[in-house]
Amino acid sequence: MMFCLLCFLPIAMYLHLMAGQIEISFDSFFDSFWNYDAKNTAHVLVREFRIPRLFMAIFAGAGLSLSGMLMQTLFKNPLAGPYVLGINSGASLLIALSLMTSVQFFQSNFGLIGTALIGAFAAGLLMMAVAQRLKSQISLLLVGLMFGSFTSAIVSILESFAGAESLKSYTMWSMGSLQQVEFGQLGFIFLIFSVGIAASFLLVKPLNMLVIGEKSAVLLGLPIKSIRMFILMLTALFAGLITAFCGPIAFVGIAIPNLTRILFQTSNHRYLIIGNCFIGAIFLLLTDAFIQVLEGHISIPLNAITSIIGAPFIVFLLMRKLR
Amino acid sequence: MIQLKELSIGYQREILHAENMILEVGNVYALVGRNGIGKSTFIQTVAGLQKKMAGEITLNGQSISGMNTKEIAETISLVDTRFEGVEYLKVKDYLALGRAPYTDLFGRLDPADWQIIQDVACDLSIEHLLEKFSNEISDGERQLCAVGRAFVQETPVILLDEPTAFLDYINRKKLLELLLRLAREKSKCIVLSSHDLELCLDQSIPLLLAAQGKISLHVSLSKEEIIQAMS
Repeated sequence: MMFCLLCFLPIAMYLHLMAGQIEISFDSFFDSFWNYDAKNTAHVLVREFRIPRLFMAIFAGAGLSLSGMLMQTLFKNPLAGPYVLGINSGASLLIALSLMTSVQFFQSNFGLIGTALIGAFAAGLLMMAVAQRLKSQISLLLVGLMFGSFTSAIVSILESFAGAESLKSYTMWSMGSLQQVEFGQLGFIFLIFSVGIAASFLLVKPLNMLVIGEKSAVLLGLPIKSIRMFILMLTALFAGLITAFCGPIAFVGIAIPNLTRILFQTSNHRYLIIGNCFIGAIFLLLTDAFIQVLEGHISIPLNAITSIIGAPFIVFLLMRKLR
Repeated sequence: MIQLKELSIGYQREILHAENMILEVGNVYALVGRNGIGKSTFIQTVAGLQKKMAGEITLNGQSISGMNTKEIAETISLVDTRFEGVEYLKVKDYLALGRAPYTDLFGRLDPADWQIIQDVACDLSIEHLLEKFSNEISDGERQLCAVGRAFVQETPVILLDEPTAFLDYINRKKLLELLLRLAREKSKCIVLSSHDLELCLDQSIPLLLAAQGKISLHVSLSKEEIIQAMS
């Protein structure tokens, strides 16, 4: 399986790079790195649009899948994920505040990331507190959905007060897109993701212990409070960062971890972490490549495609579990 | 060795008070009592999962209140009434989790750890289940695996909360005999809650009788006396 994914990732990257409306040769692609010419349209296109979009698809796919996997293991619930549990909603709410109000510290690019991280982490803490008081997994998901509805309602109120320009920028952001990242920001995002993925590997043992439940994990020596906080921070880091740069992307965080478990047939997080990174990245690369192919005719938001694929998959999972 | 001193357990009000007692290594103790009397709460409290209301629990001479999570994991293992199995978790990986208190940061197992797992699987006759997924075996087999995980943890104290609930008579008897042998040969102190009164009496297991708000230790009570005390 791992070998297949290793082979398939470069293919998905190639398809994504070549999927745009303007044809780019391989030479222009490499020249845009080593012999960049700002006057060459192909070079500019590759460097300013195709490359950031390509890497953002990889980072967002891998990051959302990882945050979903972390949530599913922590809550011992295969239907958990940053979107369902309101982690994205927390980030979205604060971003809506930043884009549609005049609060100044929200304005810069890094302010926006910080805002999303705070929102995601606060929502994660809220869900954690609720989870401690609820025994039913379904109740927790319902609370997550209620929280999502609540934040949407606040955002709607903000929208009705917002000016045309800020309303437009929020609406564009909320559709979800991989095109909002600039070449210069990739290094920073790569650094954060590398740290996040390395930190995930430090959690392999605790996550493997958590699959048999918190109580049993504690009796095996797991310091549950600090591990819970570590997992929440990591989830908020991935979900918050991606939400800040790409807008809310639905269903990747819930569907891909389940798909990975099915394909790898394991609950060992040493393999699940790698699997989620690869499958999440490949999924978003192919989805975005499809959107690029259609871009000449219609403009489809990324969120719509991930929902169209993700929602039936979740229904399939539910039916499989309830059968 | 477990030493209990004026132990009071419960949630907001006391539900059970344990007499001062010492549970020695090399022995199996059966905690018996009616449904809802607080047997599980007692086991959870001794395991450190539930706060005691008053009194003291000492494990091998060390108060449980002063022990950290790792020290408790190296001293006590607990088998719950039911292990429901986990999707895509193989039995061998489930048993391997018992080595978690002793493995490195990444949970890697060395050949000695795998040998312990193999030996326990052999003792419990569950070698044929090792490669199977834990959610695809029967309730009884899963319960044996849960007991196996506690054995793999190699702690001096083993607590079992109704471990025989999903086992047939042959497996119940076999498990009890195995626990007795393990306690004797490996110097373990084993406490199990059970409704298998006859089986415990047959094996002459000392009883921790939970009745009328108290837990007391008995070594020679007849079935009739126990039933009378319970009712």
